[in-house]
Amino acid sequence: MAPSLLYNPAKLPPSAALQLAQQAPVVLQGSSSASETVDQWATYENLLLSCLRTGDDEAAAKCMDRLEARFGADNERVMALRGLLSEAQAQNNGELEAVLKQYDAILEGNSTNIPITKRRIALLRCMGRVSDAASALVQLLDFSPTDAEAWSELSDLYFTQGLYSQAIYALEEVLLLSPNAWNIHARLGELQYMAATTSGNGGGSQQKYLAEALKRFARSIELCDDYLRGYYGLKLVTTRLLKEQAKQAKQTDDGEFTLPDSKTIERLDELATAKLSEIVRHSTLKDRGWRGYDEREVAAARELLSQNGIER
Amino acid sequence: MAQVPVQTIHRDPQLFYWILFPITIVMILTGVLRHYASVLMQSAPKKLDQKAIREQRSLLHGINVRGNFHALSKKSFATRRDALVTAFESGAYLKDPERAGQGQPNPLSDPSSMEGMMGMMKNQMAMIIPNTLIMSWINAFFSGYVIMKLPFPLTIKFKSMLQAGVMTKDMDPRWMSSISWYFLCIFGLQSVFNFLLGSDNAASQMAQQMGGMGAAPAQMFGPGVDPDKQFKAEAENLAVIEHYSVLDDVEDRLLEGITV
Repeated sequence: MAPSLLYNPAKLPPSAALQLAQQAPVVLQGSSSASETVDQWATYENLLLSCLRTGDDEAAAKCMDRLEARFGADNERVMALRGLLSEAQAQNNGELEAVLKQYDAILEGNSTNIPITKRRIALLRCMGRVSDAASALVQLLDFSPTDAEAWSELSDLYFTQGLYSQAIYALEEVLLLSPNAWNIHARLGELQYMAATTSGNGGGSQQKYLAEALKRFARSIELCDDYLRGYYGLKLVTTRLLKEQAKQAKQTDDGEFTLPDSKTIERLDELATAKLSEIVRHSTLKDRGWRGYDEREVAAARELLSQNGIER
Repeated sequence: MAQVPVQTIHRDPQLFYWILFPITIVMILTGVLRHYASVLMQSAPKKLDQKAIREQRSLLHGINVRGNFHALSKKSFATRRDALVTAFESGAYLKDPERAGQGQPNPLSDPSSMEGMMGMMKNQMAMIIPNTLIMSWINAFFSGYVIMKLPFPLTIKFKSMLQAGVMTKDMDPRWMSSISWYFLCIFGLQSVFNFLLGSDNAASQMAQQMGGMGAAPAQMFGPGVDPDKQFKAEAENLAVIEHYSVLDDVEDRLLEGITV
């Protein structure tokens, strides 16, 4: 699929973003007021973002001027984009501090300006003030608890701090907002697997984490066929469970998930292995209908499979 | 059977230019004017302060937890439910907690709801005034005679629709009076306005009527609704949920459903 300026460039790989940013002269040549279409302003916004990604600040500033001319400098979204631009143009830490002060001043006047609040949090995080960013996020989520983007950012923030149970809680909130998001299910499984890996004491809590991770990965596969991340995680969890089978603790029923019996785990392990090797084989051959997997993810899956082959 | 003789009425051909066209043009022009007038009169949506947003979104959050609890494990659902029920019942999320339990506020005393009603009034007025004016104009000048003959036959039921203002019993329903042309214009000019002004114009009254009906769900946070009662009801809804998880037996479903 060719990259289009109508998609958010943050989700595109760098090469596609570069391709988009190179369209800037053509897009900016056209006059902005000739005929206003629905897609036009989305195009400018996405062009602005991809230009910033690829370091073309000049074209980005032009896009910004057009957006500002159309929507006014006091539009919340335009304000956030303007802030993003000045963050990108800042040369040193002092200038970034100035941008941060500007954000604070804006929020002083209007505390419900959510785009600016989010930019401020992102800037704080970039500047390494993670705990400030986390408390600002918690504040934002207190008055706007239905914001999935903010919850997942908070989860990521806690995760980088190693606070797994908080990260899991935040990600569960995302799932409450979009219960069928398979990538969130898989991500939650990953978090739980990591929590199980680090909770060194073993025994009960570790097993609970692993049980839920297994189920989360299974659910993500159920929602999205041939989901590479889901199968990868499932394979990791089942391998680990099979290895540790001997020292399985007594399972208690206190509202947590319980592990399935070892036969089911074995079958899940076989399924994951088979599916992973199928995906790896097909996408290496670039078969029709099997394109679109991230190459790095496929490579990781191949590595996992070869590791397992040696162990057996 | 005797052939019904074709009715012929000799009309001045000038009728066509001096009545049919003016009515149509006046209708289109008023539609365009009304569109621009309502664009000018539109007040920007009022900004909610942080506490009001908090109140609304917390309620939405509760509704989300109630609707999607199956994505959670029993334990994490239980902690959320307990926290939310306590907070909802104590009114922790209310915009002004001291007003809780005082019953419905009078919607007329709240300035923010007055504004909403004024906006509705303005819209209604922009619709009613021009329509009344044009209708009385047509009644005063052009009433009482037919102005055109439709090129297709119609049944007798259409008489009252097409010959309003002409009290002739036996006339073929194909003949049409000026006031009926006006009514046809009201309902038929929608696509003309769409072409001239874009699809979400304020000129066509059909769209406004539909909008009035569609706005009903937005009344959830509207004036006259007591948020404290909403929170209490939501707390009750949350408390009675019997939890199940979509993750129960997911691995069995997976093994059944997917074969390599």
